[in-house]
Amino acid sequence: MRRFLALLEAGLKSNFGLSVLRHRLLRQKKDLWMVPLVALAAVSAAPLLYYYFTLLKSLYNLLAPIGQQAALLTFGLLAGQLLILIFGLFYVISAFYFSKDLEVLIPLPVRPFQVMLSKFGVILANEYLTVSLIVLPILISFGVLGRRGPVYWIEAALVYLLLPVIPLALVSVLVLLLMRFVNLGRRKDALIIVGSLLLIVLAMMFQFWINRSSRLEPDSAALVRFFASPDSLPQKTGSTFPPSVWATRALTGGLSAAGLAQLLIYAGVSIILLIGMAAGAEALFYRGLVGLAETSGRGRRLTGAEISRRLSSGRRPIRALFLREWRLMNRTPIFLLNGTLTVIIIPVMLLVMAKAGSTDSDLTSLFRLLSSKNALVSVLVSAGFMTICGSLNGTASSALSREGSQFWISKIIPVSPRDQVAAKFLHSYLVALLGIVAASAVLLAQLRIPPASFALAIGLALAVTFILTAAGLAVDLARPLLDWINPQKAIKQNLNVLIAFLADLGFLAFLGFACRFLSRLGLAVHAVLLALGLVLVFLAGLSWHLLGKFAEARYPAIEA
Amino acid sequence: MIEFDHVSKSYNKGKVKAVDDLTLTVPSGEIFGFLGPNGAGKTTTLKMVVGLLRSDGGSISINGLDVRTEALKTKTLTTYVPDYPAVYERLTGLEYLNFIGDVYGVPKPERLERISKWLEVFELGPAVGNPIQSYSHGMKQKIVLIAAILPAPEVMILDEPMVGLDPRASHSLKEMMREHCDAGGTLFFSTHIMEVAEKLCDRIGIIHKGRLIACGTMEELRRIDKEQQSLEHIFLELTET
Repeated sequence: MRRFLALLEAGLKSNFGLSVLRHRLLRQKKDLWMVPLVALAAVSAAPLLYYYFTLLKSLYNLLAPIGQQAALLTFGLLAGQLLILIFGLFYVISAFYFSKDLEVLIPLPVRPFQVMLSKFGVILANEYLTVSLIVLPILISFGVLGRRGPVYWIEAALVYLLLPVIPLALVSVLVLLLMRFVNLGRRKDALIIVGSLLLIVLAMMFQFWINRSSRLEPDSAALVRFFASPDSLPQKTGSTFPPSVWATRALTGGLSAAGLAQLLIYAGVSIILLIGMAAGAEALFYRGLVGLAETSGRGRRLTGAEISRRLSSGRRPIRALFLREWRLMNRTPIFLLNGTLTVIIIPVMLLVMAKAGSTDSDLTSLFRLLSSKNALVSVLVSAGFMTICGSLNGTASSALSREGSQFWISKIIPVSPRDQVAAKFLHSYLVALLGIVAASAVLLAQLRIPPASFALAIGLALAVTFILTAAGLAVDLARPLLDWINPQKAIKQNLNVLIAFLADLGFLAFLGFACRFLSRLGLAVHAVLLALGLVLVFLAGLSWHLLGKFAEARYPAIEA
Repeated sequence: MIEFDHVSKSYNKGKVKAVDDLTLTVPSGEIFGFLGPNGAGKTTTLKMVVGLLRSDGGSISINGLDVRTEALKTKTLTTYVPDYPAVYERLTGLEYLNFIGDVYGVPKPERLERISKWLEVFELGPAVGNPIQSYSHGMKQKIVLIAAILPAPEVMILDEPMVGLDPRASHSLKEMMREHCDAGGTLFFSTHIMEVAEKLCDRIGIIHKGRLIACGTMEELRRIDKEQQSLEHIFLELTET
């Protein structure tokens, strides 16, 4: 136990960079500017949280009169668990199999399950933070609005602590099996990506199947039965993933026998899965790892003619740097899954979810309703969707961080910082373009918007994405995270990605408000769009210019 | 030629002096060996030459060009081998060398000739088409060394370049270093291997707690030690406290 706790402590400190942060803030007195920045980010999140709590209150008040308020809990717990189930996959693969500290951990006199559980503990800690913004406000709102007693709050804490265990343990067992299987092959990276995509497709098919099979027939007797029981909406909501229903019933049941029984099931399944995972780790974990090292040395000797053919006859440095970015991004599974593939997966997932719902999903209907009243909304919402699909993926805001310990190469080569950042910009923008193309395909398939509106939306999305790409690069230039041992930290757990994400949302909200303001002044749709277009083109030019200048100032200052 | 003029560098807001008022000239055609205990300031000094770290005071110039104000020009003249060969693991050896050839603007005929030659010398031919992540530490060190030789730089900065190399590769590297300087190049390297420094270097500098405490040819250093013993004895005596 002591060894496991030591591993866990080291893992947590390394993951959150606690020792490094303390050293830099308190001893080296570096990065002190981060403190107000983080405080500012927290303060800027406050209005969002306020709106979220207000929304939850409205929903609670809407559901309470029909006795279905518990569905709110189920919804929150389910959302958190599904989020962990789908995205936990990347965390788990990366932490279990691609973390460089494994080279240090494997030779230690500790059991495989202890290493794996310590890593599981670190992921758990991350997940508590990730889902806290979604789940905690719901648990708090339900407790406060329902005037729940101390039993509820104790059970809520327990439910929250166990929340990520079931989905993460399920994913871990899957990954253990997958990696054991993957190592039979020689192309492990490709298989990991294909395996991950397969799991995502399976998750989507599952969602699709659940939605199709659980549709309510508009039968009055069924409706009466549905609303007669306070459990029916939670039951229906949570049918995708039953643990959320168990947790809801435990929380609403309190100290009653039924409530305690549900809590027991919820906690029991969590513990059984954890034990099963530990047993699986003991048998499979190191075998999968050993295979990883074995399969990499392959290939045959290249002949002189082949070497000559493969050597370029002198690319321009920007082209060489672009190629480097492209290759490193796409050959590192974690980067590929979180960057290039994300921009394609998200629109496709949204399309599947929309298709999986009723023939005309709520979002689609809402969009059509808004568009019919205002053509400007149609263009702006389409452009916003394209921009979000293209930009919110962390490619730009981790562009320097991804280089990690290899950043020394960028520092010593005779290529100006301006050109180096230009290559990174081109790469990030290309990834964003892929997202825009995927989003456009989804829009055309689902919404059938008029060609003129579509063309205008693409134009706006290209301009906004240009600015957001430059902004993302600027954030990473300001504070690149170079001392990582797990590539996941460079993109998935990189604060820069979050900062850029918030900045992007802020910018999009600002543009939305600006358009609304112009529209209220009585300007015609085309005039508003023209004004917006001109401002965006100006901002794009300005951001390009400032990015180059910032790169020239920052590159020499980044010590590697 | 590399010139250090009162160069200083400290960490922790000046509390730890890594390099303290270093003034030194390494002329063209010279192999300069930089010795010192762990944490003496060797790597910090080398990193300042190639722009990985910024000095707090003083100036460093290469062939008369200041490394801070004329960074792009000095980088064209210089290549560097770090103390740990952290290279792009997801590229193949050949892709990495090609990348270096592109950014340093090495024409294809020279690129092919040099790569073929050094792959042969370092016996890396069979692995050059494989991803670098499949290489051993020594193989990674070799690919970084070939990348440093590829642009035929005027100045080479090597941080403990022999670490991880097998005896044959180590021998080839020493020959290359000599040839490079005989052809008029400058080579500034750090090492912990006294025999290598003693036999290979034209001059040796010993740095201790950030200060250059001795500098000269082997003969000049021997005069410091009354018993005129080996470089190892001289080093131990000078860095005792």
